[in-house]
Amino acid sequence: MKQDSFSKLHPAVNLLFFIGAICFGVLLQHPVYLLAGIFASGVYYFFLNGRKGMKNILLMIPLFIFITLFNPIVNTRGVTVLFTYFDRPYTLEALIYGVAVAATFVLMLLWFGCYGKVLTGDKFTCLFGNLAPSLSLLLVMVFRMIPNLLQKAKQIVGARSSIGKGTAEKSSIKDKLGSGMTVIGVLTSWALEGSITTSDSMRSRGYGTSKRTSFTVYRMTNTDWILTFVMFILLGVVIFFAANGGMNAEFLPERNITPINGFNVIGFIAYLGYLMIPTILNVKEVIQWNISRSKI
Amino acid sequence: MKKSNVAMLIVFLALIPLTLFLGDKLPGKGYYITGVLIIIELAVPFFMMFEKRKPQARELVVLAVMIALAVIGRVAIPIPHFKAAFAIIMLTGIAFGPEAGFIVGAITAFASNFFYGQGAYMPWQMMAYGAGGMLAGFVFIKNKIPKKPWIMAIFGFLAVVIWIGPLLDTSHIFIMMPEISFATITASLASGFPVNVSQGLCTALMMIVFGKPLLEKLDRVKQKYGMLEDENGI
Repeated sequence: MKQDSFSKLHPAVNLLFFIGAICFGVLLQHPVYLLAGIFASGVYYFFLNGRKGMKNILLMIPLFIFITLFNPIVNTRGVTVLFTYFDRPYTLEALIYGVAVAATFVLMLLWFGCYGKVLTGDKFTCLFGNLAPSLSLLLVMVFRMIPNLLQKAKQIVGARSSIGKGTAEKSSIKDKLGSGMTVIGVLTSWALEGSITTSDSMRSRGYGTSKRTSFTVYRMTNTDWILTFVMFILLGVVIFFAANGGMNAEFLPERNITPINGFNVIGFIAYLGYLMIPTILNVKEVIQWNISRSKI
Repeated sequence: MKKSNVAMLIVFLALIPLTLFLGDKLPGKGYYITGVLIIIELAVPFFMMFEKRKPQARELVVLAVMIALAVIGRVAIPIPHFKAAFAIIMLTGIAFGPEAGFIVGAITAFASNFFYGQGAYMPWQMMAYGAGGMLAGFVFIKNKIPKKPWIMAIFGFLAVVIWIGPLLDTSHIFIMMPEISFATITASLASGFPVNVSQGLCTALMMIVFGKPLLEKLDRVKQKYGMLEDENGI
Protein backbone atom coordinates (compact mmCIF):
# COMPACT_ATOMS: atom_id res chain seq x y z
CA MET A 1 0.00 0.00 0.00
CA LYS A 2 1.16 3.49 -0.73
CA GLN A 3 1.79 5.71 2.27
CA ASP A 4 -1.43 7.52 3.07
CA SER A 5 -0.64 10.91 4.58
CA PHE A 6 -4.13 11.23 6.10
CA SER A 7 -3.54 8.06 8.13
CA LYS A 8 -0.43 9.65 9.64
CA LEU A 9 -2.51 12.31 11.38
CA HIS A 10 -3.72 11.98 14.95
CA PRO A 11 -6.46 9.30 15.28
CA ALA A 12 -8.85 11.86 16.78
CA VAL A 13 -8.63 13.93 13.60
CA ASN A 14 -9.29 10.81 11.49
CA LEU A 15 -12.29 9.87 13.61
CA LEU A 16 -13.72 13.39 13.47
CA PHE A 17 -13.40 13.42 9.70
CA PHE A 18 -15.22 10.10 9.28
CA ILE A 19 -17.99 11.04 11.71
CA GLY A 20 -18.59 14.22 9.74
CA ALA A 21 -18.36 12.55 6.33
CA ILE A 22 -20.68 9.66 7.21
CA CYS A 23 -23.25 11.76 9.10
CA PHE A 24 -23.60 14.27 6.27
CA GLY A 25 -23.45 11.54 3.66
CA VAL A 26 -26.48 9.99 5.30
CA LEU A 27 -28.35 13.21 5.98
CA LEU A 28 -27.99 15.05 2.66
CA GLN A 29 -30.22 13.51 0.02
CA HIS A 30 -29.57 16.18 -2.59
CA PRO A 31 -28.36 14.47 -5.80
CA VAL A 32 -25.45 16.86 -6.34
CA TYR A 33 -24.23 16.35 -2.77
CA LEU A 34 -24.61 12.58 -3.07
CA LEU A 35 -22.56 12.68 -6.24
CA ALA A 36 -19.89 14.74 -4.50
CA GLY A 37 -19.85 12.25 -1.64
CA ILE A 38 -19.51 9.24 -3.94
CA PHE A 39 -16.79 10.98 -5.91
CA ALA A 40 -14.74 11.94 -2.85
CA SER A 41 -15.15 8.61 -1.06
CA GLY A 42 -14.53 6.66 -4.29
CA VAL A 43 -11.28 8.51 -5.03
CA TYR A 44 -10.00 8.01 -1.49
CA TYR A 45 -11.13 4.37 -1.42
CA PHE A 46 -9.35 3.74 -4.69
CA PHE A 47 -6.22 5.42 -3.35
CA LEU A 48 -6.25 3.26 -0.21
CA ASN A 49 -7.04 -0.07 -1.87
CA GLY A 50 -5.52 0.22 -5.33
CA ARG A 51 -6.69 -2.20 -7.99
CA LYS A 52 -8.58 -4.38 -5.51
CA GLY A 53 -10.51 -1.26 -4.52
CA MET A 54 -11.57 -0.74 -8.15
CA LYS A 55 -12.94 -4.28 -8.21
CA ASN A 56 -14.93 -3.67 -5.03
CA ILE A 57 -16.31 -0.43 -6.43
CA LEU A 58 -17.47 -2.25 -9.58
CA LEU A 59 -19.13 -4.91 -7.40
CA MET A 60 -21.28 -2.19 -5.86
CA ILE A 61 -22.96 -1.41 -9.17
CA PRO A 62 -25.37 -4.40 -9.16
CA LEU A 63 -26.26 -3.58 -5.56
CA PHE A 64 -26.93 -0.02 -6.60
CA ILE A 65 -29.27 -1.14 -9.37
CA PHE A 66 -31.05 -3.63 -7.11
CA ILE A 67 -31.78 -1.06 -4.38
CA THR A 68 -32.93 1.47 -6.98
CA LEU A 69 -35.41 -0.94 -8.57
CA PHE A 70 -36.53 -2.31 -5.20
CA ASN A 71 -37.57 1.02 -3.72
CA PRO A 72 -40.75 1.58 -5.81
CA ILE A 73 -41.98 -1.85 -4.71
CA VAL A 74 -42.12 -0.91 -1.04
CA ASN A 75 -42.84 2.73 -1.73
CA THR A 76 -45.88 3.53 -3.84
CA ARG A 77 -46.08 7.26 -3.32
CA GLY A 78 -45.36 9.56 -6.25
CA VAL A 79 -47.46 11.24 -8.94
CA THR A 80 -46.09 9.84 -12.20
CA VAL A 81 -47.16 6.22 -12.51
CA LEU A 82 -44.93 4.23 -14.86
CA PHE A 83 -46.96 1.00 -14.76
CA THR A 84 -49.09 -1.01 -12.36
CA TYR A 85 -48.70 -4.58 -11.17
CA PHE A 86 -51.12 -6.45 -8.87
CA ASP A 87 -52.98 -3.11 -8.59
CA ARG A 88 -49.90 -1.45 -7.11
CA PRO A 89 -48.40 1.57 -8.90
CA TYR A 90 -44.70 1.72 -9.78
CA THR A 91 -43.91 5.40 -9.78
CA LEU A 92 -41.15 7.47 -11.35
CA GLU A 93 -40.64 9.54 -8.19
CA ALA A 94 -40.11 6.45 -6.08
CA LEU A 95 -37.62 5.18 -8.66
CA ILE A 96 -35.67 8.44 -8.51
CA TYR A 97 -35.81 8.33 -4.74
CA GLY A 98 -34.46 4.79 -5.03
CA VAL A 99 -31.41 6.17 -6.84
CA ALA A 100 -30.82 8.52 -3.92
CA VAL A 101 -31.23 5.70 -1.38
CA ALA A 102 -28.87 3.46 -3.35
CA ALA A 103 -26.35 6.28 -3.65
CA THR A 104 -26.47 6.83 0.12
CA PHE A 105 -25.87 3.13 0.62
CA VAL A 106 -22.87 3.00 -1.73
CA LEU A 107 -21.53 6.14 -0.08
CA MET A 108 -21.71 4.50 3.33
CA LEU A 109 -19.99 1.36 2.03
CA LEU A 110 -17.15 3.45 0.60
CA TRP A 111 -16.67 5.66 3.65
CA PHE A 112 -16.74 2.69 6.01
CA GLY A 113 -14.27 0.90 3.75
CA CYS A 114 -11.90 3.87 4.08
CA TYR A 115 -12.58 4.03 7.83
CA GLY A 116 -11.51 0.42 8.27
CA LYS A 117 -8.24 1.09 6.45
CA VAL A 118 -7.43 4.29 8.32
CA LEU A 119 -8.60 3.64 11.89
CA THR A 120 -6.80 0.40 12.63
CA GLY A 121 -7.04 -1.45 15.94
CA ASP A 122 -4.07 0.30 17.53
CA LYS A 123 -5.47 3.74 16.70
CA PHE A 124 -8.81 2.79 18.17
CA THR A 125 -7.27 1.59 21.44
CA CYS A 126 -5.16 4.76 21.49
CA LEU A 127 -8.34 6.86 21.33
CA PHE A 128 -10.37 4.93 23.88
CA GLY A 129 -7.59 3.43 26.02
CA ASN A 130 -8.01 5.96 28.80
CA LEU A 131 -11.80 5.96 28.67
CA ALA A 132 -12.21 2.17 28.88
CA PRO A 133 -8.91 0.66 30.03
CA SER A 134 -10.19 -2.88 30.68
CA LEU A 135 -12.03 -3.13 27.38
CA SER A 136 -9.10 -1.84 25.35
CA LEU A 137 -6.76 -4.22 27.14
CA LEU A 138 -9.20 -7.00 26.24
CA LEU A 139 -9.15 -5.91 22.61
CA VAL A 140 -5.36 -5.75 22.49
CA MET A 141 -5.08 -9.22 24.03
CA VAL A 142 -7.55 -10.59 21.47
CA PHE A 143 -5.50 -9.20 18.59
CA ARG A 144 -2.39 -10.85 20.04
CA MET A 145 -4.11 -14.16 20.73
CA ILE A 146 -5.60 -14.78 17.29
CA PRO A 147 -2.28 -15.34 15.45
CA ASN A 148 -0.94 -17.07 18.55
CA LEU A 149 -3.80 -19.58 18.59
CA LEU A 150 -3.60 -20.21 14.87
CA GLN A 151 0.12 -20.93 15.15
CA LYS A 152 -0.48 -23.26 18.09
CA ALA A 153 -3.16 -25.08 16.10
CA LYS A 154 -0.61 -25.75 13.37
CA GLN A 155 1.81 -27.12 15.97
CA ILE A 156 -0.85 -29.43 17.39
CA VAL A 157 -1.70 -30.76 13.93
CA GLY A 158 2.00 -31.33 13.24
CA ALA A 159 2.57 -33.11 16.55
CA ARG A 160 -0.43 -35.37 16.00
CA SER A 161 0.62 -36.37 12.52
CA SER A 162 4.16 -37.15 13.69
CA ILE A 163 2.82 -39.70 16.18
CA GLY A 164 0.63 -41.24 13.50
CA LYS A 165 -2.64 -39.66 14.52
CA GLY A 166 -2.88 -37.20 11.64
CA THR A 167 -5.36 -37.39 8.81
CA ALA A 168 -4.48 -38.03 5.20
CA GLU A 169 -6.18 -36.74 2.06
CA LYS A 170 -8.19 -39.93 1.67
CA SER A 171 -9.33 -40.26 5.28
CA SER A 172 -13.07 -40.48 5.77
CA ILE A 173 -14.98 -37.33 6.69
CA LYS A 174 -15.76 -38.82 10.07
CA ASP A 175 -12.07 -39.25 10.82
CA LYS A 176 -11.26 -35.74 9.64
CA LEU A 177 -14.09 -34.26 11.72
CA GLY A 178 -13.06 -36.26 14.77
CA SER A 179 -9.44 -35.22 14.38
CA GLY A 180 -10.50 -31.60 13.90
CA MET A 181 -12.57 -31.70 17.07
CA THR A 182 -9.62 -33.11 19.02
CA VAL A 183 -7.39 -30.34 17.73
CA ILE A 184 -9.93 -27.68 18.71
CA GLY A 185 -10.34 -29.30 22.12
CA VAL A 186 -6.59 -29.41 22.75
CA LEU A 187 -6.23 -25.85 21.55
CA THR A 188 -8.98 -24.64 23.89
CA SER A 189 -7.49 -26.44 26.90
CA TRP A 190 -4.06 -25.09 26.12
CA ALA A 191 -5.36 -21.55 25.64
CA LEU A 192 -7.38 -21.59 28.85
CA GLU A 193 -4.55 -23.03 30.95
CA GLY A 194 -2.12 -20.64 29.30
CA SER A 195 -4.41 -17.75 30.10
CA ILE A 196 -4.14 -18.57 33.81
CA THR A 197 -0.35 -18.46 33.58
CA THR A 198 -0.58 -15.13 31.77
CA SER A 199 -2.91 -13.66 34.36
CA ASP A 200 -0.77 -14.87 37.27
CA SER A 201 2.21 -13.26 35.60
CA MET A 202 0.20 -10.06 35.12
CA ARG A 203 -0.81 -10.04 38.77
CA SER A 204 2.70 -10.61 40.03
CA ARG A 205 3.85 -7.66 37.96
CA GLY A 206 1.29 -5.50 39.69
CA TYR A 207 -1.70 -5.42 37.36
CA GLY A 208 -4.62 -3.71 39.06
CA THR A 209 -2.62 -2.25 41.93
CA SER A 210 -2.73 1.28 40.64
CA LYS A 211 -4.16 3.30 37.81
CA ARG A 212 -2.82 2.19 34.48
CA THR A 213 -1.04 4.67 32.32
CA SER A 214 -1.00 4.39 28.59
CA PHE A 215 1.54 5.24 25.97
CA THR A 216 0.68 6.44 22.49
CA VAL A 217 2.89 7.28 19.61
CA TYR A 218 0.43 9.88 18.35
CA ARG A 219 0.77 13.54 19.30
CA MET A 220 -1.43 16.40 18.23
CA THR A 221 0.90 18.36 15.93
CA ASN A 222 0.31 21.81 14.49
CA THR A 223 -1.01 20.25 11.28
CA ASP A 224 -3.54 18.30 13.32
CA TRP A 225 -4.80 21.40 15.12
CA ILE A 226 -5.02 23.38 11.87
CA LEU A 227 -6.91 20.59 10.13
CA THR A 228 -9.30 20.21 13.06
CA PHE A 229 -9.95 23.94 12.91
CA VAL A 230 -10.51 23.84 9.14
CA MET A 231 -12.83 20.84 9.47
CA PHE A 232 -14.96 22.56 12.11
CA ILE A 233 -15.20 25.72 9.98
CA LEU A 234 -16.24 23.75 6.87
CA LEU A 235 -18.75 21.68 8.85
CA GLY A 236 -20.14 24.91 10.32
CA VAL A 237 -20.63 26.35 6.83
CA VAL A 238 -22.31 23.14 5.65
CA ILE A 239 -24.64 23.11 8.67
CA PHE A 240 -25.48 26.80 8.12
CA PHE A 241 -26.51 26.24 4.50
CA ALA A 242 -28.29 22.98 5.28
CA ALA A 243 -30.31 24.67 8.03
CA ASN A 244 -31.32 27.44 5.64
CA GLY A 245 -32.66 24.95 3.12
CA GLY A 246 -29.87 25.30 0.59
CA MET A 247 -29.47 21.53 0.35
CA ASN A 248 -33.09 20.42 0.48
CA ALA A 249 -34.27 17.74 -1.86
CA GLU A 250 -37.66 16.07 -1.76
CA PHE A 251 -38.63 13.20 -3.99
CA LEU A 252 -42.00 12.02 -2.74
CA PRO A 253 -44.72 12.58 -3.70
CA GLU A 254 -43.30 15.24 -6.01
CA ARG A 255 -39.77 16.11 -6.95
CA ASN A 256 -38.62 19.33 -5.35
CA ILE A 257 -34.87 19.76 -5.52
CA THR A 258 -33.26 23.04 -4.56
CA PRO A 259 -30.99 24.17 -7.38
CA ILE A 260 -27.34 24.80 -6.50
CA ASN A 261 -26.90 28.40 -7.58
CA GLY A 262 -25.97 31.81 -6.28
CA PHE A 263 -25.20 31.79 -2.62
CA ASN A 264 -25.73 28.04 -2.16
CA VAL A 265 -22.58 27.29 -4.18
CA ILE A 266 -20.54 28.24 -1.09
CA GLY A 267 -22.20 25.45 0.89
CA PHE A 268 -21.44 22.95 -1.84
CA ILE A 269 -17.80 24.03 -2.07
CA ALA A 270 -17.45 23.73 1.71
CA TYR A 271 -18.91 20.22 1.63
CA LEU A 272 -16.73 19.07 -1.24
CA GLY A 273 -13.68 20.67 0.35
CA TYR A 274 -14.35 18.85 3.60
CA LEU A 275 -14.70 15.48 1.88
CA MET A 276 -11.60 16.00 -0.25
CA ILE A 277 -9.30 16.67 2.74
CA PRO A 278 -7.65 13.19 2.66
CA THR A 279 -7.22 13.34 -1.12
CA ILE A 280 -5.85 16.89 -1.01
CA LEU A 281 -3.32 15.87 1.66
CA ASN A 282 -2.18 12.95 -0.48
CA VAL A 283 -1.91 15.05 -3.64
CA LYS A 284 0.07 17.65 -1.70
CA GLU A 285 2.41 14.90 -0.50
CA VAL A 286 3.02 13.67 -4.07
CA ILE A 287 3.72 17.19 -5.32
CA GLN A 288 6.10 17.91 -2.44
CA TRP A 289 7.90 14.64 -3.08
CA ASN A 290 8.35 15.42 -6.74
CA ILE A 291 9.58 18.95 -6.02
CA SER A 292 12.10 17.77 -3.45
CA ARG A 293 13.25 15.02 -5.78
CA SER A 294 13.77 17.43 -8.67
CA LYS A 295 16.03 19.54 -6.47
CA ILE A 296 18.52 16.72 -6.00
CA MET B 1 -28.73 3.29 44.37
CA LYS B 2 -25.71 2.02 42.49
CA LYS B 3 -24.06 4.36 40.05
CA SER B 4 -24.52 2.03 37.10
CA ASN B 5 -28.23 1.70 37.84
CA VAL B 6 -28.57 5.48 37.85
CA ALA B 7 -26.82 5.58 34.49
CA MET B 8 -29.20 2.93 33.18
CA LEU B 9 -32.23 4.91 34.37
CA ILE B 10 -30.95 8.14 32.81
CA VAL B 11 -30.43 6.31 29.53
CA PHE B 12 -33.86 4.71 29.40
CA LEU B 13 -35.90 7.62 30.73
CA ALA B 14 -34.16 10.60 29.18
CA LEU B 15 -31.46 9.92 26.62
CA ILE B 16 -33.29 7.47 24.33
CA PRO B 17 -36.57 9.41 24.14
CA LEU B 18 -34.55 12.59 23.51
CA THR B 19 -32.59 10.88 20.72
CA LEU B 20 -35.79 9.60 19.14
CA PHE B 21 -37.36 13.05 19.37
CA LEU B 22 -34.40 14.88 17.85
CA GLY B 23 -33.68 12.09 15.38
CA ASP B 24 -37.17 12.42 13.96
CA LYS B 25 -36.31 15.95 12.87
CA LEU B 26 -33.22 14.89 10.89
CA PRO B 27 -33.60 14.98 7.11
CA GLY B 28 -32.76 12.22 4.64
CA LYS B 29 -31.68 8.92 6.10
CA GLY B 30 -31.22 10.48 9.52
CA TYR B 31 -32.82 7.41 11.06
CA TYR B 32 -29.52 5.60 10.51
CA ILE B 33 -27.78 8.06 12.83
CA THR B 34 -30.63 7.77 15.34
CA GLY B 35 -30.32 3.97 15.27
CA VAL B 36 -26.55 4.03 15.85
CA LEU B 37 -26.88 6.54 18.69
CA ILE B 38 -29.53 4.45 20.44
CA ILE B 39 -27.40 1.30 20.20
CA ILE B 40 -24.44 3.19 21.66
CA GLU B 41 -26.64 4.54 24.46
CA LEU B 42 -27.88 1.03 25.23
CA ALA B 43 -24.40 -0.48 25.22
CA VAL B 44 -22.55 2.15 27.24
CA PRO B 45 -24.15 1.26 30.63
CA PHE B 46 -23.12 -2.39 30.15
CA PHE B 47 -19.56 -1.47 29.28
CA MET B 48 -19.53 1.00 32.17
CA MET B 49 -20.59 -1.72 34.60
CA PHE B 50 -17.75 -3.88 33.32
CA GLU B 51 -15.20 -1.07 33.70
CA LYS B 52 -16.47 0.01 37.13
CA ARG B 53 -16.07 -3.53 38.46
CA LYS B 54 -12.34 -3.32 37.66
CA PRO B 55 -12.17 -6.87 36.29
CA GLN B 56 -9.13 -8.78 37.44
CA ALA B 57 -6.40 -10.17 35.24
CA ARG B 58 -7.71 -13.75 35.28
CA GLU B 59 -11.15 -12.78 34.14
CA LEU B 60 -9.83 -10.52 31.39
CA VAL B 61 -7.46 -13.12 29.99
CA VAL B 62 -10.09 -15.89 29.95
CA LEU B 63 -12.58 -13.59 28.25
CA ALA B 64 -9.89 -12.65 25.72
CA VAL B 65 -9.29 -16.34 24.98
CA MET B 66 -13.01 -16.90 24.40
CA ILE B 67 -13.23 -13.86 22.14
CA ALA B 68 -10.18 -14.99 20.18
CA LEU B 69 -11.72 -18.46 19.75
CA ALA B 70 -15.02 -16.95 18.61
CA VAL B 71 -13.27 -14.64 16.14
CA ILE B 72 -11.35 -17.61 14.75
CA GLY B 73 -14.66 -19.51 14.59
CA ARG B 74 -16.03 -16.70 12.48
CA VAL B 75 -13.03 -15.96 10.30
CA ALA B 76 -11.49 -19.41 9.82
CA ILE B 77 -14.56 -21.38 8.66
CA PRO B 78 -14.72 -20.80 4.93
CA ILE B 79 -18.44 -21.60 4.46
CA PRO B 80 -20.48 -18.36 4.33
CA HIS B 81 -23.30 -17.99 6.87
CA PHE B 82 -22.13 -21.12 8.68
CA LYS B 83 -19.94 -19.81 11.48
CA ALA B 84 -19.05 -21.22 14.87
CA ALA B 85 -18.87 -17.80 16.53
CA PHE B 86 -22.45 -17.78 17.88
CA ALA B 87 -22.01 -21.15 19.58
CA ILE B 88 -18.79 -20.07 21.32
CA ILE B 89 -20.35 -16.78 22.44
CA MET B 90 -23.42 -18.57 23.81
CA LEU B 91 -21.31 -21.20 25.58
CA THR B 92 -19.34 -18.41 27.26
CA GLY B 93 -22.62 -16.87 28.39
CA ILE B 94 -23.78 -20.27 29.66
CA ALA B 95 -20.55 -20.90 31.56
CA PHE B 96 -19.75 -17.43 32.93
CA GLY B 97 -23.12 -15.66 33.04
CA PRO B 98 -24.93 -12.94 31.11
CA GLU B 99 -22.39 -10.14 31.59
CA ALA B 100 -19.47 -12.19 30.28
CA GLY B 101 -21.71 -13.35 27.41
CA PHE B 102 -22.50 -9.78 26.45
CA ILE B 103 -18.89 -8.60 26.61
CA VAL B 104 -17.59 -11.60 24.63
CA GLY B 105 -20.33 -11.21 22.00
CA ALA B 106 -19.93 -7.49 21.51
CA ILE B 107 -16.13 -7.53 21.39
CA THR B 108 -16.15 -10.57 19.06
CA ALA B 109 -18.25 -8.64 16.55
CA PHE B 110 -16.00 -5.62 16.86
CA ALA B 111 -12.69 -7.50 16.70
CA SER B 112 -13.66 -9.81 13.84
CA ASN B 113 -14.64 -6.80 11.76
CA PHE B 114 -10.99 -5.77 11.73
CA PHE B 115 -10.55 -8.90 9.58
CA TYR B 116 -13.75 -8.56 7.55
CA GLY B 117 -13.64 -4.78 7.27
CA GLN B 118 -15.76 -2.42 9.32
CA GLY B 119 -19.15 -1.72 7.91
CA ALA B 120 -22.17 0.43 8.54
CA TYR B 121 -23.79 -2.57 10.23
CA MET B 122 -21.11 -2.81 12.96
CA PRO B 123 -23.20 -1.34 15.84
CA TRP B 124 -26.02 -3.79 15.07
CA GLN B 125 -23.59 -6.69 15.02
CA MET B 126 -22.15 -5.74 18.39
CA MET B 127 -25.65 -5.43 19.79
CA ALA B 128 -26.94 -8.71 18.32
CA TYR B 129 -23.88 -10.80 19.24
CA GLY B 130 -23.79 -9.32 22.72
CA ALA B 131 -27.51 -9.84 23.20
CA GLY B 132 -27.10 -13.47 22.11
CA GLY B 133 -24.42 -14.14 24.72
CA MET B 134 -26.47 -12.36 27.36
CA LEU B 135 -29.62 -14.32 26.54
CA ALA B 136 -27.71 -17.60 26.83
CA GLY B 137 -26.42 -16.48 30.20
CA PHE B 138 -29.90 -15.62 31.47
CA VAL B 139 -31.57 -18.77 30.17
CA PHE B 140 -29.05 -21.15 31.70
CA ILE B 141 -28.51 -19.19 34.91
CA LYS B 142 -28.07 -21.20 38.13
CA ASN B 143 -28.48 -24.63 36.49
CA LYS B 144 -32.30 -24.40 36.37
CA ILE B 145 -32.25 -25.74 32.83
CA PRO B 146 -29.92 -28.74 32.46
CA LYS B 147 -26.92 -28.05 30.24
CA LYS B 148 -27.46 -31.09 28.03
CA PRO B 149 -26.06 -30.87 24.50
CA TRP B 150 -29.42 -31.34 22.76
CA ILE B 151 -31.13 -28.75 24.98
CA MET B 152 -28.34 -26.30 24.22
CA ALA B 153 -28.61 -27.17 20.51
CA ILE B 154 -32.34 -26.39 20.46
CA PHE B 155 -31.74 -23.23 22.42
CA GLY B 156 -28.91 -22.23 20.07
CA PHE B 157 -31.01 -22.76 16.96
CA LEU B 158 -34.00 -20.85 18.32
CA ALA B 159 -31.84 -18.06 19.71
CA VAL B 160 -30.20 -17.48 16.34
CA VAL B 161 -33.42 -17.72 14.30
CA ILE B 162 -35.70 -15.61 16.49
CA TRP B 163 -33.36 -13.39 18.49
CA ILE B 164 -29.85 -12.78 17.11
CA GLY B 165 -30.76 -13.10 13.42
CA PRO B 166 -33.70 -10.68 13.43
CA LEU B 167 -31.66 -8.22 15.53
CA LEU B 168 -28.97 -8.36 12.85
CA ASP B 169 -31.54 -8.02 10.08
CA THR B 170 -32.85 -4.78 11.55
CA SER B 171 -29.59 -3.23 10.32
CA HIS B 172 -30.83 -3.73 6.73
CA ILE B 173 -33.88 -1.62 7.50
CA PHE B 174 -31.67 1.23 8.67
CA ILE B 175 -28.96 0.93 6.03
CA MET B 176 -30.55 -0.24 2.77
CA MET B 177 -34.21 0.63 3.05
CA PRO B 178 -35.62 3.99 2.01
CA GLU B 179 -37.91 4.31 5.02
CA ILE B 180 -39.06 2.45 8.11
CA SER B 181 -42.45 0.93 7.39
CA PHE B 182 -44.23 -2.39 7.78
CA ALA B 183 -43.30 -3.37 4.21
CA THR B 184 -39.58 -2.69 4.59
CA ILE B 185 -39.44 -4.43 7.98
CA THR B 186 -41.08 -7.60 6.67
CA ALA B 187 -38.90 -7.51 3.55
CA SER B 188 -35.72 -7.27 5.64
CA LEU B 189 -36.72 -9.99 8.06
CA ALA B 190 -37.87 -12.32 5.26
CA SER B 191 -34.66 -11.87 3.27
CA GLY B 192 -32.62 -12.67 6.36
CA PHE B 193 -34.57 -15.80 7.28
CA PRO B 194 -32.65 -18.41 5.19
CA VAL B 195 -29.33 -17.03 6.43
CA ASN B 196 -30.55 -17.22 10.01
CA VAL B 197 -31.67 -20.82 9.59
CA SER B 198 -28.27 -21.76 8.18
CA GLN B 199 -26.49 -20.00 11.05
CA GLY B 200 -28.87 -21.60 13.52
CA LEU B 201 -28.13 -25.08 12.16
CA CYS B 202 -24.40 -24.46 12.47
CA THR B 203 -24.87 -23.25 16.04
CA ALA B 204 -26.95 -26.32 16.93
CA LEU B 205 -24.35 -28.61 15.37
CA MET B 206 -21.55 -26.90 17.27
CA MET B 207 -23.52 -27.16 20.50
CA ILE B 208 -23.98 -30.91 20.05
CA VAL B 209 -20.38 -31.66 19.07
CA PHE B 210 -18.49 -29.02 20.98
CA GLY B 211 -20.86 -27.86 23.71
CA LYS B 212 -20.17 -30.41 26.37
CA PRO B 213 -16.37 -30.61 26.03
CA LEU B 214 -16.02 -26.82 26.04
CA LEU B 215 -18.30 -26.38 29.05
CA GLU B 216 -16.34 -29.05 30.90
CA LYS B 217 -13.10 -27.25 30.13
CA LEU B 218 -14.48 -23.91 31.24
CA ASP B 219 -15.94 -25.41 34.41
CA ARG B 220 -12.62 -27.05 35.13
CA VAL B 221 -10.75 -23.77 34.83
CA LYS B 222 -13.46 -22.10 36.90
CA GLN B 223 -13.20 -24.68 39.68
CA LYS B 224 -9.47 -25.08 39.59
CA TYR B 225 -8.79 -21.38 39.94
CA GLY B 226 -12.07 -20.19 41.45
CA MET B 227 -12.79 -17.61 38.80
CA LEU B 228 -15.57 -15.16 38.03
CA GLU B 229 -17.47 -16.24 41.11
CA ASP B 230 -16.39 -14.45 44.25
CA GLU B 231 -15.67 -10.80 43.80
CA ASN B 232 -12.64 -10.40 46.03
CA GLY B 233 -10.96 -13.76 45.73
CA ILE B 234 -9.32 -13.40 42.35
